[in-house]
Amino acid sequence: MSNRDSGKADILQGTLDIMVLQTLTTLGPVHGYAIAARLEQVSNGAIQLTMGTLYPGLMRLEQRGLVRGKWGVTENNRKARFYAITAAGRRQLAAEKAEWTRTASIMHSLLNEAP
Amino acid sequence: MTPREWARRLWATCRRTRSDRDLEDELTAHLELAADEERRRGTPEGSAVRIARLRVGAVAQAMEAQRDQRGFAWLEDLARDVRFACRTLGKAPGFTVVAVLTLALGTGANSAMFSVINAVLLRPLPFPFPERLAAVASIDLRATAGASGSASWPDFFDWRSSARTFEHLSAYRETGFTLVDGGRAFHVPGAVVTSDLLSTLGVKPALGRDFRINEERAGADVALISDSIWRSQFAAAPDIVGRAVTLNSRRFTIVGVMPPAFHFPVSVPAAQIWITNAEDARVDNPADSPMTAERGAHFIRVIGRLRATASIASAQAELEVIAAGLARAHPDDSGNRGVRVASELDRLVGDTRQSLLVLLAAVGCVLLIACVNLANLLLARGAGRGREMALRTALGAPQRRLVRQLLTESLVLATLGTGCGLALAYGSIALLVRLAPVTVRGLDQVTIDGVVVAFTAIMGGISALIFGLVPAFQTARTDSGIGGAATARATQGRGQRRLRGALVIVETAVGVVLLVGAGLLLRSFDRLLRTAPGFESQHLVTATFRLPDSRYPYLKQILFYDDVLLDLRALPGVDSAAATAPLPLSGSRYSISFQQSGVQRPQSERLSADFGMVSPGYFRTLHVPLLRGREFSDADSDVAPRVVIVNERFARQYFGDANPLGQRIKPGLSTTEKEMPWREIVGVVGDIRHQRLSEESRPAYFVPYAQGLISPLSLVVRTNNTTGIVEDIRRTLARKDPELALYDVRTMDEYVATSVATPRFQTLLLALFAAVGLTLTAIGLYGVMAYGVAQRTREFGIRLALGARPAEVLGLVLRSALALIAAGLIVGVVAGAFATRLLASALYGVSPLDPATFAAVAAMLIAVALVASYVPARRATRVDPIAAIRSE
Repeated sequence: MSNRDSGKADILQGTLDIMVLQTLTTLGPVHGYAIAARLEQVSNGAIQLTMGTLYPGLMRLEQRGLVRGKWGVTENNRKARFYAITAAGRRQLAAEKAEWTRTASIMHSLLNEAP
Repeated sequence: MTPREWARRLWATCRRTRSDRDLEDELTAHLELAADEERRRGTPEGSAVRIARLRVGAVAQAMEAQRDQRGFAWLEDLARDVRFACRTLGKAPGFTVVAVLTLALGTGANSAMFSVINAVLLRPLPFPFPERLAAVASIDLRATAGASGSASWPDFFDWRSSARTFEHLSAYRETGFTLVDGGRAFHVPGAVVTSDLLSTLGVKPALGRDFRINEERAGADVALISDSIWRSQFAAAPDIVGRAVTLNSRRFTIVGVMPPAFHFPVSVPAAQIWITNAEDARVDNPADSPMTAERGAHFIRVIGRLRATASIASAQAELEVIAAGLARAHPDDSGNRGVRVASELDRLVGDTRQSLLVLLAAVGCVLLIACVNLANLLLARGAGRGREMALRTALGAPQRRLVRQLLTESLVLATLGTGCGLALAYGSIALLVRLAPVTVRGLDQVTIDGVVVAFTAIMGGISALIFGLVPAFQTARTDSGIGGAATARATQGRGQRRLRGALVIVETAVGVVLLVGAGLLLRSFDRLLRTAPGFESQHLVTATFRLPDSRYPYLKQILFYDDVLLDLRALPGVDSAAATAPLPLSGSRYSISFQQSGVQRPQSERLSADFGMVSPGYFRTLHVPLLRGREFSDADSDVAPRVVIVNERFARQYFGDANPLGQRIKPGLSTTEKEMPWREIVGVVGDIRHQRLSEESRPAYFVPYAQGLISPLSLVVRTNNTTGIVEDIRRTLARKDPELALYDVRTMDEYVATSVATPRFQTLLLALFAAVGLTLTAIGLYGVMAYGVAQRTREFGIRLALGARPAEVLGLVLRSALALIAAGLIVGVVAGAFATRLLASALYGVSPLDPATFAAVAAMLIAVALVASYVPARRATRVDPIAAIRSE
């Protein structure tokens, strides 16, 4: 059963997957914390993922075979689970990226129409 | 979710690829990494972890969210909830035991009742494609109801040769054989069947062959025997086929052995030997016409296998056309005959269906009461758990999660209760079957099979929803803002009290319906038992034997009966002995047409009445009053003038106030005479309920058996020694002819008991269900009142402190109980008035709206309600004001 911040997670639902996949493409295999930190940094702090949002998302991606997780060691010698994008993940990302760009451009031209 | 993802999730759930431990490790690592960063930013060591946690969230919540994602969260939740429910219930053993027992009673009664319905109504006949088996009967178009369901041989042959909607059409009649083995004679139930009966049923002999069509001709003496006879009489000899067996002193060739499970005709006791209708085509005297040529003699049953393309309706339509043709061709015999096609199962089940469904509805009511009681229990329990619910809500459990938890508790209760119920049903089936009338098909095969278990499980699930849903929502509807004791009180508002009151009303109303039904049946059954059958059944022993035609030509049979009766009367302890056929209340009835002297009617409109053959002294033996004239005497022999005795109803119906003595009638009954003789009425006797105790007697006439013997007679002996006499009769008979077998040895009281077996079964069960229902209702009311009083302890304390007298407080509580009961009574009486219509056909001498029954039920319920609420009410008057107020 989802907890009480599920409302916020739902808003992110569609975009979280694509953000994670893109981050993994950019950074290569990284652990969950690095993904969250990267998204926070890229969004200038607008996106702050709690563990309750990030990890169910990662698990979902893993279940769909889009990412693969493996335990490893960080540069600080801490154990962490590292995620890498799979071939299926790359295909999915390409497809969603195209879709997203299309939607964004439609929205852009719609919202910037002259009155 | 796509199917693939479903599969993956299921896999994950089962395999748990990532354990809780693994997930937790990852989240802890995440938190550590966040804390590391805080430290890097210079946050003091003490608060680094705390701030990190604020930023990334708590591990526990993330775990929960991930578990949801991982597999089927509900499956894991369910397992957790079930474990939790078991622990919770274990902590309240009193509540659990009461709840489980209540449910066990409710579901047990239901599953026992359903197992009967399953065996009698639902289980198909044990033949291939049983739905295509149809019963065909010739009916009297003038009769409004109660058509006999039999046919005559010539009608059947015509149907068989012209009907196209049937693959096979066969006829049969039940009979009995005397089998002599090693000097001992015994009776074997059997049947006369057409050669294609087995093809119709879709059965083949296990050994040997089926009958052939040319074996329907007179002289073809062939027989099929049952597996059990084959084993008991022939030591399961493998070379049985072709061997001879002597039945009724005639030799038959055994052509086959039936499979062990074969049971047809579907009756008790089961037929063991089958011979062909060659039996009825045979005549002893070449001048006579065989039974197979008697179009007016309706005494066989017809069963057919419909073609796959045909239906009952199309068969009915076709046979109606054929019957109309027969009516035109044979106006004398068939002028008023129609035909009726019904499914064989429907014919066998008959009116049992209605009474079983009424009983099922009644046990449904019992279960409903049980559910209402449980709902009440759960509500009270839920109210006590307000603190727990508030705490769990405060900790972040959403309401639906709590509802689910509470429903799981109900499910666990239902599972336990249903399990105990099944065990209860298993234990009670033997009793149920013993009480049941033996003649109902399938009752000997009542078992708890898969269908019954499935029904019980579904019923248990539905019950859990009925009794669990409302309390679950009520209990879970706590406001997390208010904590602790305040919440516990808050849920005791008017809403809930009203809900509990409504439940009591429902329960009472259902109880009233049950009680009214049971009351009506009890009154009706009482009437039935008080009904005099027209004779005194006590101290009467009856038995039948069959004289083989081959050794006993007509006159010799009469002499033999005379002789036997003479010897029986001389036995010690015998008051009187007589013989008759058909025996009252034995189920058989002969109806034979007659002409009335001086009244002309065309043959097709001829009157008919019940017919009996009796010995001299028969009416005296049965203690049937002789109203006019005389009884038959030994002087009414086969050479004496033909005489007849009629019953009172016959005299009234056909002679009105005129004296029937000396009048003459001519029954359509011929034996040795060239022409049917006129017979003079020499006596009028009282009416006998011949068919059933509940059925008024019809007009009937009796002839001395010496002047018209058409079937084996039953002996009727009045004696004080009803047990020892049987051996005496047997010995007497054996002395005269050792190859005769005595059968159907029973007391007349047994026949009376059998004739009321169905109403007794129904009455007993409904009374039992009503008693259970009433007990549950009383317990439920007690629970509600006790709880209400406990809730209002403070109020009563204040009232008493302010000077209220205990009697006033007592009245207050009792009044509130009576208000609920009164409302329930009103609803129940209205519902009962509708429901008892279903019982109308089962009632005898009592109206479905019998005011006395309704009044008695109301009085009984009010009495029970007062008793159930008196104890809590007394408690209310003993409240210590000081303690009550302090306790808050």
